[in-house]
Amino acid sequence: MSVLSKLEETLACLKAGRVTLPYPANPDPVPAKFRGRPIFDAAKCIGCGGCANNCPAREILVFDVCQEVRILKYLGRRCTYCGRCAEVCPEKAITMSHEFENGTNTIGDLGQQLDLFMSTCQRCGRCFKPASVLEELKMKGYRSDDLKDERWIYHSKAYLDDAVADDIKIEME
Amino acid sequence: MNRAMTWTILGSLLNVAAVLLLAPLFQGVLRKITARIQSRQGPPVWQPYFDLLKLLGKEDIESGETPTMQRFAAYLSLATVLAIACLVPMGFAVPLNGMGDVVLLIYLLTLSGICTLLAGIAAGSTYSLLGISREMMSMISLEPLLVVTLVTGALHAHSLRLESVLNGSPYAGSGVPWSGLILLAVMLLAFQAFVQRVPFDISEAETELMEGPLVEYSGPKLALFKYSHMVKLIIHSALFAALFTPWGSHLVFPIGWLLFWIKVFGLVVLVTLVAATHARYRIDQAIRYFAGLLVVASAGLVLASYGY
Amino acid sequence: MIAHERLEQLRQKFGAAIQHTDFPADNRLFVHVEPAAVKNICQYIFRDMDARYVISIGADDRPYSGKFLVAHNFAFDHDHLLCSVLVELPADNPSIESISEVVPAASWAEREMRDLVGIKPVGHKYLKRLVLPDGWPEDVHPLRKDSRWDEVPTGFSDDRELTFDDPPEGCMVVPFGPFHPTLDEPAHFRLYVEGEMVRGCEYRGFMAHRGIEKLAESVMSYNDIPMLAERICGICGCVHSVAYTQAVESAAALTPPPRAEYIRTIMLEIERLHSHLLWTGLACHILGFDTLFMQSFRIREPIMWIAEKITGNRKTYALCQIGGVRWDFTPELKIELRQTLDKLEAEWRPIVAAVSGDKNIQKRTRGVGVADKKLVKNAGLVGPVARAAGVDMDCRRDHPYAAYDRVEFNVITQNDGDVWSRVLVRVQEVFESIRIIRQCLDKMPDGPLQLEIKDELPIGRIGLSSIEAPRGESHHFVITGENNRPRRWRVRAPTYQNLQGVPMMIKDQQIADMTISLGSIDPCFSCTDRMETIDLRSGAIRVWSQQELLKLTQRQKA
Repeated sequence: MSVLSKLEETLACLKAGRVTLPYPANPDPVPAKFRGRPIFDAAKCIGCGGCANNCPAREILVFDVCQEVRILKYLGRRCTYCGRCAEVCPEKAITMSHEFENGTNTIGDLGQQLDLFMSTCQRCGRCFKPASVLEELKMKGYRSDDLKDERWIYHSKAYLDDAVADDIKIEME
Repeated sequence: MNRAMTWTILGSLLNVAAVLLLAPLFQGVLRKITARIQSRQGPPVWQPYFDLLKLLGKEDIESGETPTMQRFAAYLSLATVLAIACLVPMGFAVPLNGMGDVVLLIYLLTLSGICTLLAGIAAGSTYSLLGISREMMSMISLEPLLVVTLVTGALHAHSLRLESVLNGSPYAGSGVPWSGLILLAVMLLAFQAFVQRVPFDISEAETELMEGPLVEYSGPKLALFKYSHMVKLIIHSALFAALFTPWGSHLVFPIGWLLFWIKVFGLVVLVTLVAATHARYRIDQAIRYFAGLLVVASAGLVLASYGY
Repeated sequence: MIAHERLEQLRQKFGAAIQHTDFPADNRLFVHVEPAAVKNICQYIFRDMDARYVISIGADDRPYSGKFLVAHNFAFDHDHLLCSVLVELPADNPSIESISEVVPAASWAEREMRDLVGIKPVGHKYLKRLVLPDGWPEDVHPLRKDSRWDEVPTGFSDDRELTFDDPPEGCMVVPFGPFHPTLDEPAHFRLYVEGEMVRGCEYRGFMAHRGIEKLAESVMSYNDIPMLAERICGICGCVHSVAYTQAVESAAALTPPPRAEYIRTIMLEIERLHSHLLWTGLACHILGFDTLFMQSFRIREPIMWIAEKITGNRKTYALCQIGGVRWDFTPELKIELRQTLDKLEAEWRPIVAAVSGDKNIQKRTRGVGVADKKLVKNAGLVGPVARAAGVDMDCRRDHPYAAYDRVEFNVITQNDGDVWSRVLVRVQEVFESIRIIRQCLDKMPDGPLQLEIKDELPIGRIGLSSIEAPRGESHHFVITGENNRPRRWRVRAPTYQNLQGVPMMIKDQQIADMTISLGSIDPCFSCTDRMETIDLRSGAIRVWSQQELLKLTQRQKA
């Protein structure tokens, strides 16, 4: 009987009570593993560029100003909060915080720039043991991503061979 | 004569003011109860007031094919329902008693439906035309129910005057009021359709037709339509209360008046409960349903003509 | 071995036309044939051997072998075999005989091949633009290796309107979409309407095409792509990332550790739970029954919370890497998951009982949007749509992957093929999913989460993977390549096939039923279209025209 099933449905609904959560007045805490905005700690960072290589959204730029100084810039616009940067960082300098209220009118608000003083060989950075062979096959050598226009330059010849380089016409300055 | 005139004017003003002030409140109550059934907190009971104020404050963009007709339809829809409010007893005697009779009431009710049709035609978009075709089909099957009820009441009351008909007249047959009971059942089952709520809000089905006839309305004109939609709930409840639950309406002024609004509140809660627990019907299913009800109502009319 | 038997059958009929074959595993068969014989072979496989059509793929292999490649994928569900018929086409004239006459389900795939790769299907009856907009220049094909991934070709007129066919006699055109309250994503159905009855429709979609496959082939690497893949869809993200990962693992002959397989299974079933509950709510909303919509979402919410506790996000789990998974189950999480499942089951059972007896909903859904077995076969429909029509197909059982070969579950079928049957199939699958998760939690072994990959992945290998998404079979095709990225990646979401059946489902039905018929296939246009747009804004407050926004993200070809 349709009326009975309607009554059953209504009773089921009423039993549940009121489930509206009082957010934002009284927000619930997020779980421990929650992947919010990544926070970069410049004190711990060794400038290896592993986070930049493993960012699927290409949101971390690396620029070598000179022999000793490397700029690491996290842009944060297309960040997917996947947490791979935190996972591969050998020094645990990146933490996935619990911040998720990241809306802003100024696009630069979410960026974090680290100016790092590197004191050893610039060619290979401070190599770290990659998680797998697949991680090893990434960009190596001098890096000069375009900080002004905020995009990656696939410049390192240590990674791309000639045929492919011509094929996709990288800009060489 | 002077006293009667004063009473007419005051009564109309009171009715119109009460309806205008209270219609959004009842809508808010409807939304709140729906929300609680859905395990939600729901908007505050004053929300429809804020919604109407917001809409009235917006820029009046005229889109659609015939803006003049659109304006006319919007004004007419609210005007019609307010006029009906003056013809229905809301806790005291009908204010505009001498100015019209039951036939005028029927015409005005039909006119309020036609306003939606005008709105849809004026907009000229495919969705609005589809919406008004559904609205027309619903109207053709629904209005007869109302007419049958009022005529039955008129038959029993032996008069077409509003104060006689809108006073529990369907029950006025001899002995057990068979026709009254039949019509009570029919009107209860069709009430949801008169006030255009789920499962019978077919012409304005948001998910199917992008709001149907109202698709080209925004801002102040939409506010007028929404307002008239809210007011319809009240005037149909008032009609129902006057025809089928007239007890207590002759009581002294504030008590009878309060009793009337309590009855309306009860009907609003009933409408809410049905709306919250049903899915929308398709137009052909709805029309079949109304046709069935019409057959039963006609049986009631026949009984009434024999005095039962 | 079943694969050998099937091959023998083919060889007996078409011996000369088969150039060579490849058996990487017992459940995969790759047959390279001559172009002239492809239509006959496909007809034989589809009709006489009664295989199921999956997808056709076009690939530009010119930098590596100097040729274009076309693959027609079929599935032998009862034999647990996925088969691919491959053809090489010369670089100067890539055209192949169309198989859409004998396999109607291939219609869209061949149009997409023509749009994106430029392989012409000769004899296709309705060769209109499918993926690319009408203003796209004729000779530019984005998935070719000489097209850049971030450029607008010269001659692209972005304001050219779509051209539509003429409606049949006596019918009014009701446009449905791209903006419609029912649809979450843009799609355009031009309904030909006579009174209240729909007589036919024309579908233009792919308005949300993002170029995911091109991105993956140009600038992403193997382990970046799962993050991209899980954003193909707003609901079934885990499915796509697992399907891609499995395709690459199948191509490279890698097996993830058992614990990783169980974890993948659990997360896939969690996704199925939340997807089916969401769909039930959405279907009720389409019918105007908002109360049940709210209740479904209330019951579904704890699943999102537990997913967040396990993986760090409600929906984008970021779960897969090639060779394993990233997140583990602690004993506390296992206990919490069990409690969530118990509560879910206890709350869902009365709702199912109430809905099954509800005449009001049944009136709107019985006999509506019917897809019979013949349509399922011809249009290649998959998932609950096919199961509701009585076709017993489920990739978890037919092409076992992850840990599904180690758990027991029933495949739910109904017989009527209408929207009501689909409702019943989906609400009952919820209970089966709960059963599977419980078995996985019991049987999950300890061990590593990630395989140690010691060498570069082999190049030029083909991998196929078919996963049962909540909406049906999600099929990924990968050709591994150089530079740590695939050469070709094709995503075939279930909605891709199911949408092709919609025009038949809504024919001779009322307009009011159109939305629920469309909703009953659980359309996921993001999966079908596979795209997203990114736009950058400067700090200045200015109203940007469409031109300016486009210029920011694109570069004109010199």
